[in-house]
Amino acid sequence: MKLLIVDPDPARATLVAEGLADVRPLEIRQTARLEEEELASFQPSIIVIACDSPDRDTLESLRDATSANPRPVVMFVDRSAPGLGEAATRAGVAAYIVDGLQPARVRSILEVAMTRFQLMQQLRTDLAKAQSDLAGRKTVERAKGLLMKERQLTEEEAYSQLRRLAMNSGRSIAAVAADLLIFSGVLKGDKS
Amino acid sequence: MTLALELGFIALADAAPLIVAKARGYFGEEGLDVALHREVSWATIRDKVAAGVFQGAHMLAPMALAANMGVGSEPTPLIVPMALNAHGASLGISRALAAEMERFLPEAPLDVAALAAVVAARAASGRPAVSFATVFPYSMHAYMLRYWAASGGVDPDRDIRIVVAAPTAIAARLKSGEIDGFCVGAPWGAMCEADSAARIALRAATFWPGGPDKVLGLSQSWADADPAATMALVRALIRAAVWADAPENAAELAKLLSRREWLDAPATLIGRALASGPDQIRFARHAALYPWRSHAAWILSQQMRWGQIGAGIDASTALACYRPDVFRAACLDAGINAPSTDSKIEGAHDRPWNQPGLRGSIPMTADLILGGGAFDPERLHEYAAGFAISRLGS
Repeated sequence: MKLLIVDPDPARATLVAEGLADVRPLEIRQTARLEEEELASFQPSIIVIACDSPDRDTLESLRDATSANPRPVVMFVDRSAPGLGEAATRAGVAAYIVDGLQPARVRSILEVAMTRFQLMQQLRTDLAKAQSDLAGRKTVERAKGLLMKERQLTEEEAYSQLRRLAMNSGRSIAAVAADLLIFSGVLKGDKS
Repeated sequence: MTLALELGFIALADAAPLIVAKARGYFGEEGLDVALHREVSWATIRDKVAAGVFQGAHMLAPMALAANMGVGSEPTPLIVPMALNAHGASLGISRALAAEMERFLPEAPLDVAALAAVVAARAASGRPAVSFATVFPYSMHAYMLRYWAASGGVDPDRDIRIVVAAPTAIAARLKSGEIDGFCVGAPWGAMCEADSAARIALRAATFWPGGPDKVLGLSQSWADADPAATMALVRALIRAAVWADAPENAAELAKLLSRREWLDAPATLIGRALASGPDQIRFARHAALYPWRSHAAWILSQQMRWGQIGAGIDASTALACYRPDVFRAACLDAGINAPSTDSKIEGAHDRPWNQPGLRGSIPMTADLILGGGAFDPERLHEYAAGFAISRLGS
Protein backbone atom coordinates (compact mmCIF):
# COMPACT_ATOMS: atom_id res chain seq x y z
CA MET A 1 0.00 0.00 0.00
CA LYS A 2 1.32 3.42 -0.93
CA LEU A 3 0.93 6.43 1.32
CA LEU A 4 1.65 10.05 0.48
CA ILE A 5 2.09 12.57 3.31
CA VAL A 6 1.49 16.20 2.22
CA ASP A 7 2.69 18.61 4.88
CA PRO A 8 4.33 22.03 4.58
CA ASP A 9 6.06 21.21 7.89
CA PRO A 10 8.78 18.64 7.02
CA ALA A 11 9.61 17.88 10.66
CA ARG A 12 6.00 16.94 11.37
CA ALA A 13 5.79 14.85 8.20
CA THR A 14 8.88 12.93 9.30
CA LEU A 15 7.34 12.33 12.70
CA VAL A 16 4.22 10.90 11.04
CA ALA A 17 6.29 8.75 8.65
CA GLU A 18 8.31 7.39 11.59
CA GLY A 19 5.14 6.53 13.45
CA LEU A 20 3.82 4.62 10.48
CA ALA A 21 7.05 2.87 9.53
CA ASP A 22 6.44 -0.20 11.65
CA VAL A 23 2.67 -0.28 11.38
CA ARG A 24 2.45 -2.42 8.26
CA PRO A 25 4.07 -2.79 4.89
CA LEU A 26 3.68 0.69 3.55
CA GLU A 27 5.58 2.58 0.96
CA ILE A 28 5.68 6.12 2.31
CA ARG A 29 6.55 9.32 0.55
CA GLN A 30 6.44 12.79 2.05
CA THR A 31 6.14 16.08 0.23
CA ALA A 32 5.72 19.73 1.21
CA ARG A 33 3.55 20.40 -1.84
CA LEU A 34 1.05 18.27 -3.71
CA GLU A 35 2.42 17.84 -7.22
CA GLU A 36 0.21 16.34 -9.89
CA GLU A 37 3.19 14.63 -11.52
CA GLU A 38 3.97 12.94 -8.23
CA LEU A 39 0.37 11.81 -7.81
CA ALA A 40 0.41 10.36 -11.30
CA SER A 41 3.77 8.60 -10.96
CA PHE A 42 3.57 7.43 -7.32
CA GLN A 43 -0.14 6.54 -7.43
CA PRO A 44 -0.77 6.57 -3.68
CA SER A 45 -3.81 4.71 -2.39
CA ILE A 46 -3.91 6.89 0.74
CA ILE A 47 -3.04 10.55 1.16
CA VAL A 48 -2.57 12.09 4.59
CA ILE A 49 -2.64 15.89 4.43
CA ALA A 50 -2.11 18.63 7.00
CA CYS A 51 -5.10 20.94 7.37
CA ASP A 52 -2.71 23.88 7.15
CA SER A 53 -1.52 22.83 3.69
CA PRO A 54 -2.76 25.27 1.03
CA ASP A 55 -3.01 22.26 -1.31
CA ARG A 56 -5.87 20.69 0.57
CA ASP A 57 -8.54 22.22 -1.67
CA THR A 58 -6.63 20.99 -4.72
CA LEU A 59 -6.84 17.47 -3.33
CA GLU A 60 -10.49 18.05 -2.45
CA SER A 61 -11.20 18.88 -6.11
CA LEU A 62 -9.87 15.54 -7.36
CA ARG A 63 -13.10 13.76 -6.52
CA ASP A 64 -14.40 13.75 -10.03
CA ALA A 65 -12.98 11.33 -12.54
CA THR A 66 -12.04 13.46 -15.52
CA SER A 67 -9.27 13.23 -18.02
CA ALA A 68 -7.22 15.39 -15.66
CA ASN A 69 -8.03 13.27 -12.58
CA PRO A 70 -8.17 9.65 -13.64
CA ARG A 71 -8.21 8.35 -10.05
CA PRO A 72 -10.83 10.13 -7.96
CA VAL A 73 -10.11 10.57 -4.27
CA VAL A 74 -12.59 10.76 -1.43
CA MET A 75 -12.16 12.09 2.05
CA PHE A 76 -11.82 9.26 4.49
CA VAL A 77 -14.66 9.09 6.99
CA ASP A 78 -15.00 5.91 9.01
CA ARG A 79 -18.61 5.51 10.02
CA SER A 80 -17.71 2.56 12.26
CA ALA A 81 -15.61 4.92 14.38
CA PRO A 82 -17.73 7.99 14.99
CA GLY A 83 -15.69 10.95 16.11
CA LEU A 84 -12.44 9.87 14.45
CA GLY A 85 -12.82 12.39 11.64
CA GLU A 86 -13.64 15.16 14.11
CA ALA A 87 -10.72 14.28 16.34
CA ALA A 88 -8.42 14.30 13.32
CA THR A 89 -9.77 17.72 12.26
CA ARG A 90 -9.05 19.02 15.75
CA ALA A 91 -5.53 17.64 15.52
CA GLY A 92 -5.16 19.33 12.12
CA VAL A 93 -4.91 16.36 9.77
CA ALA A 94 -7.16 14.72 7.18
CA ALA A 95 -6.94 11.51 5.15
CA TYR A 96 -8.10 10.87 1.62
CA ILE A 97 -8.30 7.49 -0.07
CA VAL A 98 -8.48 6.55 -3.68
CA ASP A 99 -12.06 5.67 -4.47
CA GLY A 100 -12.73 1.96 -4.20
CA LEU A 101 -10.11 1.21 -1.57
CA GLN A 102 -11.37 -0.80 1.40
CA PRO A 103 -11.33 1.66 4.29
CA ALA A 104 -10.61 -0.98 6.98
CA ARG A 105 -6.85 -0.46 6.86
CA VAL A 106 -6.99 3.32 6.81
CA ARG A 107 -8.30 3.86 10.29
CA SER A 108 -5.10 2.90 12.11
CA ILE A 109 -3.10 5.07 9.72
CA LEU A 110 -5.24 8.12 10.44
CA GLU A 111 -5.03 7.38 14.17
CA VAL A 112 -1.23 7.27 14.07
CA ALA A 113 -1.08 10.46 12.00
CA MET A 114 -3.43 12.19 14.41
CA THR A 115 -1.37 11.14 17.43
CA ARG A 116 1.81 12.35 15.77
CA PHE A 117 0.23 15.71 14.92
CA GLN A 118 -0.80 16.09 18.55
CA LEU A 119 2.72 15.13 19.66
CA MET A 120 4.22 17.75 17.36
CA GLN A 121 1.82 20.37 18.71
CA GLN A 122 2.84 19.43 22.25
CA LEU A 123 6.55 19.67 21.36
CA ARG A 124 6.04 23.08 19.79
CA THR A 125 4.03 24.31 22.79
CA ASP A 126 6.74 23.06 25.17
CA LEU A 127 9.40 24.77 23.10
CA ALA A 128 7.49 28.05 23.06
CA LYS A 129 7.03 27.81 26.81
CA ALA A 130 10.71 27.06 27.36
CA GLN A 131 11.59 30.06 25.21
CA SER A 132 9.20 32.31 27.08
CA ASP A 133 10.51 31.01 30.45
CA LEU A 134 14.00 31.88 29.31
CA ALA A 135 12.87 35.32 28.14
CA GLY A 136 11.09 35.76 31.49
CA ARG A 137 14.27 34.96 33.41
CA LYS A 138 16.19 37.50 31.33
CA THR A 139 13.51 40.13 31.99
CA VAL A 140 13.69 39.50 35.74
CA GLU A 141 17.49 39.83 35.63
CA ARG A 142 17.24 43.17 33.80
CA ALA A 143 14.57 44.50 36.19
CA LYS A 144 16.73 43.47 39.15
CA GLY A 145 19.68 45.29 37.63
CA LEU A 146 17.54 48.40 37.10
CA LEU A 147 16.34 48.42 40.74
CA MET A 148 19.87 47.84 42.03
CA LYS A 149 21.18 50.75 40.00
CA GLU A 150 18.37 53.25 40.54
CA ARG A 151 17.59 52.50 44.16
CA GLN A 152 21.02 51.31 45.26
CA LEU A 153 19.68 47.93 46.37
CA THR A 154 21.52 44.65 46.73
CA GLU A 155 20.58 41.87 44.35
CA GLU A 156 18.66 40.11 47.11
CA GLU A 157 16.72 43.27 48.05
CA ALA A 158 15.85 43.97 44.43
CA TYR A 159 14.53 40.44 43.98
CA SER A 160 12.42 40.53 47.14
CA GLN A 161 10.94 43.86 46.01
CA LEU A 162 9.93 42.29 42.70
CA ARG A 163 8.49 39.30 44.49
CA ARG A 164 6.46 41.53 46.80
CA LEU A 165 5.07 43.49 43.85
CA ALA A 166 4.14 40.21 42.18
CA MET A 167 2.41 38.86 45.26
CA ASN A 168 0.51 42.09 45.85
CA SER A 169 -0.77 42.22 42.28
CA GLY A 170 -1.33 38.49 41.90
CA ARG A 171 0.86 38.28 38.77
CA SER A 172 4.04 36.51 37.86
CA ILE A 173 7.43 37.98 38.73
CA ALA A 174 8.30 38.06 35.01
CA ALA A 175 5.15 40.11 34.23
CA VAL A 176 5.88 42.58 37.00
CA ALA A 177 9.50 42.84 35.85
CA ALA A 178 8.40 43.48 32.25
CA ASP A 179 6.05 46.27 33.42
CA LEU A 180 8.83 47.85 35.43
CA LEU A 181 11.12 47.88 32.40
CA ILE A 182 8.37 49.29 30.16
CA PHE A 183 7.55 52.11 32.57
CA SER A 184 11.17 53.00 33.01
CA GLY A 185 11.54 53.14 29.23
CA VAL A 186 14.23 50.49 29.21
CA LEU A 187 12.35 48.13 26.93
CA LYS A 188 11.03 50.91 24.71
CA GLY A 189 14.43 52.32 23.86
CA ASP A 190 16.08 48.96 24.54
CA LYS A 191 19.07 50.78 25.98
CA SER A 192 20.14 48.40 28.71
CA MET B 1 -21.10 38.35 30.51
CA THR B 2 -19.23 37.71 27.32
CA LEU B 3 -19.59 34.66 25.12
CA ALA B 4 -16.46 33.16 23.55
CA LEU B 5 -16.75 32.32 19.84
CA GLU B 6 -14.28 30.81 17.38
CA LEU B 7 -14.75 31.83 13.73
CA GLY B 8 -12.68 30.93 10.68
CA PHE B 9 -11.73 33.04 7.66
CA ILE B 10 -9.61 32.92 4.51
CA ALA B 11 -7.26 35.80 3.62
CA LEU B 12 -9.56 37.68 1.22
CA ALA B 13 -10.79 41.28 1.10
CA ASP B 14 -14.37 40.03 1.51
CA ALA B 15 -13.55 38.78 5.02
CA ALA B 16 -13.61 42.51 5.92
CA PRO B 17 -16.88 42.45 7.91
CA LEU B 18 -15.37 39.85 10.29
CA ILE B 19 -12.00 41.61 10.54
CA VAL B 20 -13.52 45.07 11.00
CA ALA B 21 -15.94 43.84 13.68
CA LYS B 22 -12.99 42.34 15.54
CA ALA B 23 -10.57 45.25 15.12
CA ARG B 24 -13.10 47.99 15.88
CA GLY B 25 -14.56 46.24 18.90
CA TYR B 26 -18.07 45.67 17.49
CA PHE B 27 -18.13 42.04 18.65
CA GLY B 28 -17.18 43.10 22.16
CA GLU B 29 -19.93 45.72 22.23
CA GLU B 30 -22.42 42.94 21.45
CA GLY B 31 -21.07 40.87 24.35
CA LEU B 32 -19.11 38.49 22.12
CA ASP B 33 -15.47 37.54 22.62
CA VAL B 34 -14.62 36.41 19.08
CA ALA B 35 -11.34 34.76 18.09
CA LEU B 36 -10.74 34.82 14.31
CA HIS B 37 -8.67 31.98 12.88
CA ARG B 38 -7.06 32.29 9.45
CA GLU B 39 -7.15 29.06 7.48
CA VAL B 40 -5.61 28.29 4.11
CA SER B 41 -8.23 25.91 2.75
CA TRP B 42 -12.00 26.02 2.38
CA ALA B 43 -12.25 22.30 3.14
CA THR B 44 -10.63 22.91 6.52
CA ILE B 45 -13.06 25.76 7.24
CA ARG B 46 -15.95 23.44 6.40
CA ASP B 47 -14.59 20.56 8.51
CA LYS B 48 -13.79 22.72 11.52
CA VAL B 49 -17.35 24.05 11.57
CA ALA B 50 -18.65 20.47 11.17
CA ALA B 51 -16.47 19.26 14.04
CA GLY B 52 -17.50 22.13 16.30
CA VAL B 53 -13.97 23.60 16.45
CA PHE B 54 -15.51 26.77 14.95
CA GLN B 55 -19.09 27.90 15.52
CA GLY B 56 -19.09 29.64 12.15
CA ALA B 57 -16.99 31.02 9.34
CA HIS B 58 -16.47 33.11 6.21
CA MET B 59 -17.69 30.72 3.49
CA LEU B 60 -18.16 30.47 -0.24
CA ALA B 61 -21.94 30.61 -0.73
CA PRO B 62 -21.96 27.49 -2.96
CA MET B 63 -19.80 25.59 -0.45
CA ALA B 64 -22.28 26.32 2.36
CA LEU B 65 -25.10 24.89 0.20
CA ALA B 66 -23.06 21.85 -0.87
CA ALA B 67 -21.98 21.07 2.72
CA ASN B 68 -25.61 21.23 3.84
CA MET B 69 -26.66 18.77 1.15
CA GLY B 70 -23.71 16.48 1.90
CA VAL B 71 -22.27 17.06 -1.56
CA GLY B 72 -18.47 16.73 -1.47
CA SER B 73 -18.48 16.00 2.27
CA GLU B 74 -20.56 14.47 5.00
CA PRO B 75 -23.80 16.44 5.43
CA THR B 76 -23.01 19.43 7.67
CA PRO B 77 -26.08 21.26 8.96
CA LEU B 78 -25.39 24.99 8.57
CA ILE B 79 -27.43 28.14 8.45
CA VAL B 80 -26.66 31.18 6.32
CA PRO B 81 -28.12 34.19 8.16
CA MET B 82 -26.32 36.76 6.00
CA ALA B 83 -24.07 37.35 3.02
CA LEU B 84 -20.76 39.17 3.54
CA ASN B 85 -20.29 40.92 0.19
CA ALA B 86 -20.97 41.14 -3.52
CA HIS B 87 -18.21 41.36 -6.17
CA GLY B 88 -14.43 41.19 -5.82
CA ALA B 89 -13.66 38.14 -7.96
CA SER B 90 -11.80 38.55 -11.22
CA LEU B 91 -11.27 36.19 -14.13
CA GLY B 92 -7.80 36.76 -15.57
CA ILE B 93 -5.66 35.58 -18.44
CA SER B 94 -1.88 35.19 -18.39
CA ARG B 95 0.14 37.54 -20.53
CA ALA B 96 1.16 34.65 -22.81
CA LEU B 97 -2.38 33.37 -23.30
CA ALA B 98 -3.64 36.93 -23.87
CA ALA B 99 -1.04 37.32 -26.63
CA GLU B 100 -2.16 34.03 -28.17
CA MET B 101 -5.80 35.15 -28.03
CA GLU B 102 -4.90 38.48 -29.59
CA ARG B 103 -3.54 36.77 -32.70
CA PHE B 104 -6.99 35.33 -33.39
CA LEU B 105 -9.09 38.33 -32.41
CA PRO B 106 -6.98 41.51 -32.34
CA GLU B 107 -10.02 43.74 -31.88
CA ALA B 108 -11.21 41.93 -28.72
CA PRO B 109 -8.34 39.79 -27.40
CA LEU B 110 -9.94 39.16 -24.01
CA ASP B 111 -13.27 38.05 -25.42
CA VAL B 112 -14.33 34.45 -24.88
CA ALA B 113 -14.52 34.10 -28.67
CA ALA B 114 -10.73 34.54 -28.74
CA LEU B 115 -10.40 31.80 -26.13
CA ALA B 116 -12.60 29.53 -28.27
CA ALA B 117 -10.27 30.13 -31.23
CA VAL B 118 -7.18 29.28 -29.14
CA VAL B 119 -8.86 26.15 -27.77
CA ALA B 120 -9.69 24.95 -31.30
CA ALA B 121 -6.21 25.73 -32.61
CA ARG B 122 -4.48 23.96 -29.71
CA ALA B 123 -6.70 20.89 -30.10
CA ALA B 124 -6.00 20.76 -33.85
CA SER B 125 -2.25 20.91 -33.34
CA GLY B 126 -2.24 18.52 -30.37
CA ARG B 127 -0.91 21.09 -27.90
CA PRO B 128 -1.91 20.94 -24.21
CA ALA B 129 -5.31 22.36 -23.27
CA VAL B 130 -5.57 25.82 -21.72
CA SER B 131 -5.68 25.55 -17.93
CA PHE B 132 -7.49 27.78 -15.46
CA ALA B 133 -7.25 27.76 -11.67
CA THR B 134 -10.17 28.49 -9.44
CA VAL B 135 -10.56 28.29 -5.69
CA PHE B 136 -12.99 25.45 -4.97
CA PRO B 137 -15.31 23.14 -6.93
CA TYR B 138 -18.29 24.75 -5.16
CA SER B 139 -17.59 28.47 -5.58
CA MET B 140 -19.02 31.41 -7.51
CA HIS B 141 -15.53 31.66 -9.01
CA ALA B 142 -15.94 28.23 -10.59
CA TYR B 143 -19.45 29.01 -11.84
CA MET B 144 -18.41 32.41 -13.23
CA LEU B 145 -15.50 30.82 -15.13
CA ARG B 146 -17.70 27.98 -16.42
CA TYR B 147 -20.53 30.34 -17.39
CA TRP B 148 -18.17 32.65 -19.26
CA ALA B 149 -16.39 29.83 -21.09
CA ALA B 150 -19.65 28.12 -22.05
CA SER B 151 -21.10 31.43 -23.28
CA GLY B 152 -18.43 31.34 -25.97
CA GLY B 153 -18.99 27.69 -26.85
CA VAL B 154 -16.03 26.44 -24.76
CA ASP B 155 -17.03 23.38 -22.73
CA PRO B 156 -15.35 23.87 -19.33
CA ASP B 157 -15.11 20.12 -18.69
CA ARG B 158 -13.95 19.02 -22.12
CA ASP B 159 -12.17 21.90 -23.83
CA ILE B 160 -10.14 23.44 -21.01
CA ARG B 161 -8.61 22.15 -17.81
CA ILE B 162 -9.84 23.55 -14.50
CA VAL B 163 -7.66 23.02 -11.43
CA VAL B 164 -8.18 24.17 -7.87
CA ALA B 165 -5.62 26.19 -5.90
CA ALA B 166 -5.77 28.25 -2.72
CA PRO B 167 -6.40 31.98 -3.38
CA THR B 168 -3.02 32.85 -1.91
CA ALA B 169 -1.26 30.29 -4.19
CA ILE B 170 -2.78 31.36 -7.51
CA ALA B 171 -0.45 34.31 -8.22
CA ALA B 172 2.61 32.07 -7.76
CA ARG B 173 1.21 29.39 -10.06
CA LEU B 174 0.45 31.94 -12.74
CA LYS B 175 3.94 33.39 -12.45
CA SER B 176 5.56 29.96 -12.79
CA GLY B 177 3.47 29.24 -15.89
CA GLU B 178 1.61 26.27 -14.38
CA ILE B 179 -1.72 27.87 -15.24
CA ASP B 180 -2.87 30.10 -18.11
CA GLY B 181 -5.72 31.82 -16.31
CA PHE B 182 -7.63 32.07 -13.05
CA CYS B 183 -10.77 33.19 -11.31
CA VAL B 184 -10.04 34.38 -7.78
CA GLY B 185 -11.25 36.87 -5.17
CA ALA B 186 -9.62 40.18 -4.24
CA PRO B 187 -6.86 41.10 -3.74
CA TRP B 188 -5.31 38.05 -5.42
CA GLY B 189 -6.49 38.91 -8.95
CA ALA B 190 -4.85 42.34 -8.59
CA MET B 191 -1.71 40.56 -7.41
CA CYS B 192 -1.69 38.48 -10.61
CA GLU B 193 -1.94 41.73 -12.60
CA ALA B 194 0.88 43.33 -10.61
CA ASP B 195 3.21 40.31 -10.50
CA SER B 196 2.74 38.71 -13.90
CA ALA B 197 1.00 41.38 -16.02
CA ALA B 198 -2.12 39.20 -16.18
CA ARG B 199 -5.09 40.75 -18.02
CA ILE B 200 -8.54 40.78 -16.45
CA ALA B 201 -11.18 39.49 -18.89
CA LEU B 202 -14.20 39.61 -16.59
CA ARG B 203 -14.97 40.96 -13.13
CA ALA B 204 -17.73 39.68 -10.86
CA ALA B 205 -19.15 43.21 -10.85
CA THR B 206 -19.65 42.87 -14.63
CA PHE B 207 -20.55 39.19 -14.71
CA TRP B 208 -23.45 39.73 -12.35
CA PRO B 209 -23.84 43.07 -10.55
CA GLY B 210 -25.00 42.33 -7.01
CA GLY B 211 -24.61 38.56 -7.45
CA PRO B 212 -23.72 36.23 -4.56
CA ASP B 213 -20.18 35.57 -3.28
CA LYS B 214 -19.24 34.95 0.39
CA VAL B 215 -21.61 34.30 3.27
CA LEU B 216 -21.54 33.78 7.00
CA GLY B 217 -22.07 30.05 7.60
CA LEU B 218 -23.00 29.06 11.15
CA SER B 219 -23.28 25.65 12.73
CA GLN B 220 -27.01 25.01 12.86
CA SER B 221 -26.84 23.30 16.24
CA TRP B 222 -24.96 26.25 17.73
CA ALA B 223 -27.32 28.82 16.18
CA ASP B 224 -30.40 26.87 17.34
CA ALA B 225 -29.02 26.60 20.87
CA ASP B 226 -28.23 30.31 21.17
CA PRO B 227 -30.49 32.47 18.99
CA ALA B 228 -29.63 35.61 20.99
CA ALA B 229 -25.91 35.17 20.27
CA THR B 230 -26.70 34.55 16.59
CA MET B 231 -28.56 37.88 16.47
CA ALA B 232 -25.72 39.66 18.28
CA LEU B 233 -23.19 38.23 15.81
CA VAL B 234 -25.26 39.28 12.78
CA ARG B 235 -25.76 42.79 14.22
CA ALA B 236 -22.02 43.24 14.84
CA LEU B 237 -21.23 42.10 11.28
CA ILE B 238 -23.86 44.39 9.72
CA ARG B 239 -22.35 47.31 11.60
CA ALA B 240 -18.85 46.35 10.44
CA ALA B 241 -19.99 45.94 6.83
CA VAL B 242 -21.65 49.37 6.85
CA TRP B 243 -18.36 50.85 8.10
CA ALA B 244 -16.39 48.93 5.46
CA ASP B 245 -18.74 50.13 2.73
CA ALA B 246 -18.21 53.84 3.41
CA PRO B 247 -15.83 55.32 0.78
CA GLU B 248 -14.24 57.58 3.41
CA ASN B 249 -13.08 54.48 5.32
CA ALA B 250 -11.54 52.74 2.29
CA ALA B 251 -7.95 53.82 2.93
CA GLU B 252 -8.09 52.83 6.59
CA LEU B 253 -9.77 49.53 5.70
CA ALA B 254 -7.08 48.69 3.12
CA LYS B 255 -4.41 49.38 5.73
CA LEU B 256 -6.17 47.26 8.36
CA LEU B 257 -6.70 44.30 6.02
CA SER B 258 -3.10 44.42 4.80
CA ARG B 259 -1.74 43.60 8.26
CA ARG B 260 0.19 40.40 8.77
CA GLU B 261 -2.45 38.76 10.96
CA TRP B 262 -5.24 39.40 8.44
CA LEU B 263 -4.50 39.32 4.69
CA ASP B 264 -0.75 39.92 4.81
CA ALA B 265 -0.92 41.56 1.36
CA PRO B 266 -0.05 45.06 0.04
CA ALA B 267 -2.63 47.74 0.95
CA THR B 268 -2.38 49.23 -2.56
CA LEU B 269 -3.62 45.96 -4.11
CA ILE B 270 -6.37 45.57 -1.51
CA GLY B 271 -7.42 49.17 -2.16
CA ARG B 272 -8.26 48.32 -5.76
CA ALA B 273 -11.15 46.17 -4.51
CA LEU B 274 -12.53 48.92 -2.29
CA ALA B 275 -14.28 52.26 -2.74
CA SER B 276 -14.24 53.20 -6.40
CA GLY B 277 -11.72 50.55 -7.48
CA PRO B 278 -12.47 48.35 -10.48
CA ASP B 279 -13.48 45.33 -8.38
CA GLN B 280 -15.98 47.43 -6.39
CA ILE B 281 -16.76 45.12 -3.52
CA ARG B 282 -20.15 45.94 -2.06
CA PHE B 283 -20.31 45.27 1.66
CA ALA B 284 -23.68 46.71 2.59
CA ARG B 285 -25.20 48.98 -0.04
CA HIS B 286 -27.92 47.70 -2.38
CA ALA B 287 -28.85 44.95 0.12
CA ALA B 288 -25.48 43.22 -0.44
CA LEU B 289 -25.68 41.51 2.98
CA TYR B 290 -29.09 39.98 2.39
CA PRO B 291 -29.16 36.16 2.10
CA TRP B 292 -31.41 36.04 -0.95
CA ARG B 293 -32.97 32.59 -1.37
CA SER B 294 -33.01 33.37 -5.09
CA HIS B 295 -29.19 33.67 -5.01
CA ALA B 296 -29.04 30.23 -3.44
CA ALA B 297 -31.47 28.89 -6.04
CA TRP B 298 -29.30 30.25 -8.88
CA ILE B 299 -26.30 28.48 -7.36
CA LEU B 300 -28.30 25.21 -7.29
CA SER B 301 -29.12 25.74 -10.97
CA GLN B 302 -25.40 25.81 -11.79
CA GLN B 303 -24.65 22.84 -9.54
CA MET B 304 -27.28 20.93 -11.56
CA ARG B 305 -25.98 22.27 -14.84
CA TRP B 306 -22.46 21.00 -14.14
CA GLY B 307 -23.52 17.65 -12.70
CA GLN B 308 -22.49 18.41 -9.11
CA ILE B 309 -25.99 17.64 -7.85
CA GLY B 310 -28.77 15.58 -9.37
CA ALA B 311 -31.67 17.27 -11.13
CA GLY B 312 -34.03 15.40 -8.78
CA ILE B 313 -32.87 17.32 -5.71
CA ASP B 314 -35.52 18.84 -3.45
CA ALA B 315 -34.69 22.51 -3.92
CA SER B 316 -36.90 23.83 -1.13
CA THR B 317 -35.07 21.67 1.45
CA ALA B 318 -31.70 22.73 0.07
CA LEU B 319 -32.68 26.40 0.18
CA ALA B 320 -33.99 26.27 3.76
CA CYS B 321 -30.49 26.88 5.19
CA TYR B 322 -30.62 30.44 3.81
CA ARG B 323 -32.28 32.43 6.59
CA PRO B 324 -33.49 35.86 5.43
CA ASP B 325 -35.89 35.75 8.40
CA VAL B 326 -32.95 35.80 10.83
CA PHE B 327 -31.35 38.69 8.93
CA ARG B 328 -34.58 40.70 8.94
CA ALA B 329 -35.02 40.15 12.69
CA ALA B 330 -31.46 41.37 13.33
CA CYS B 331 -32.14 44.44 11.16
CA LEU B 332 -35.33 45.24 13.06
CA ASP B 333 -33.25 45.00 16.27
CA ALA B 334 -30.66 47.37 14.89
CA GLY B 335 -33.10 49.77 13.23
CA ILE B 336 -31.73 49.06 9.74
CA ASN B 337 -33.71 48.57 6.55
CA ALA B 338 -33.85 45.13 4.90
CA PRO B 339 -35.73 43.63 1.94
CA SER B 340 -39.18 42.36 2.85
CA THR B 341 -39.21 39.39 0.44
CA ASP B 342 -37.07 36.22 0.67
CA SER B 343 -36.47 36.01 -3.07
CA LYS B 344 -36.49 38.11 -6.18
CA ILE B 345 -36.33 37.51 -9.90
CA GLU B 346 -32.57 37.63 -10.58
CA GLY B 347 -30.97 39.27 -13.57
CA ALA B 348 -34.14 41.06 -14.64
CA HIS B 349 -33.09 44.71 -14.40
CA ASP B 350 -31.18 46.66 -17.02
CA ARG B 351 -31.41 49.89 -15.00
CA PRO B 352 -31.62 50.98 -11.33
CA TRP B 353 -34.77 49.93 -9.52
CA ASN B 354 -36.29 49.87 -6.02
CA GLN B 355 -36.66 46.81 -3.79
CA PRO B 356 -39.51 46.93 -1.23
CA GLY B 357 -38.07 46.94 2.29
CA LEU B 358 -39.14 46.86 5.92
CA ARG B 359 -38.60 50.64 6.23
CA GLY B 360 -39.29 51.95 2.76
CA SER B 361 -37.74 50.99 -0.52
CA ILE B 362 -34.08 50.10 -1.04
CA PRO B 363 -32.27 51.49 -4.11
CA MET B 364 -30.89 48.66 -6.26
CA THR B 365 -28.70 48.69 -9.37
CA ALA B 366 -29.04 46.98 -12.73
CA ASP B 367 -28.37 43.25 -12.24
CA LEU B 368 -28.25 41.53 -15.63
CA ILE B 369 -26.31 38.23 -15.63
CA LEU B 370 -23.72 38.09 -18.44
CA GLY B 371 -25.51 37.76 -21.76
CA GLY B 372 -28.34 35.74 -20.22
CA GLY B 373 -31.99 36.14 -19.41
CA ALA B 374 -33.74 36.52 -16.08
CA PHE B 375 -33.75 33.77 -13.47
CA ASP B 376 -37.03 32.97 -11.76
CA PRO B 377 -36.28 30.80 -8.70
CA GLU B 378 -39.68 29.14 -9.14
CA ARG B 379 -38.48 27.82 -12.49
CA LEU B 380 -35.07 26.59 -11.37
CA HIS B 381 -35.07 23.29 -13.31
CA GLU B 382 -36.20 24.91 -16.50
CA TYR B 383 -33.42 27.49 -16.22
CA ALA B 384 -30.76 24.85 -15.42
CA ALA B 385 -31.82 22.79 -18.45
CA GLY B 386 -31.87 25.78 -20.77
CA PHE B 387 -28.14 26.07 -21.42
CA ALA B 388 -26.58 24.83 -24.66
CA ILE B 389 -23.56 23.47 -22.76
CA SER B 390 -24.59 21.50 -19.69
CA ARG B 391 -24.16 18.07 -18.08
CA LEU B 392 -27.92 17.72 -17.66
CA GLY B 393 -29.26 14.89 -19.74
CA SER B 394 -25.86 14.14 -21.26
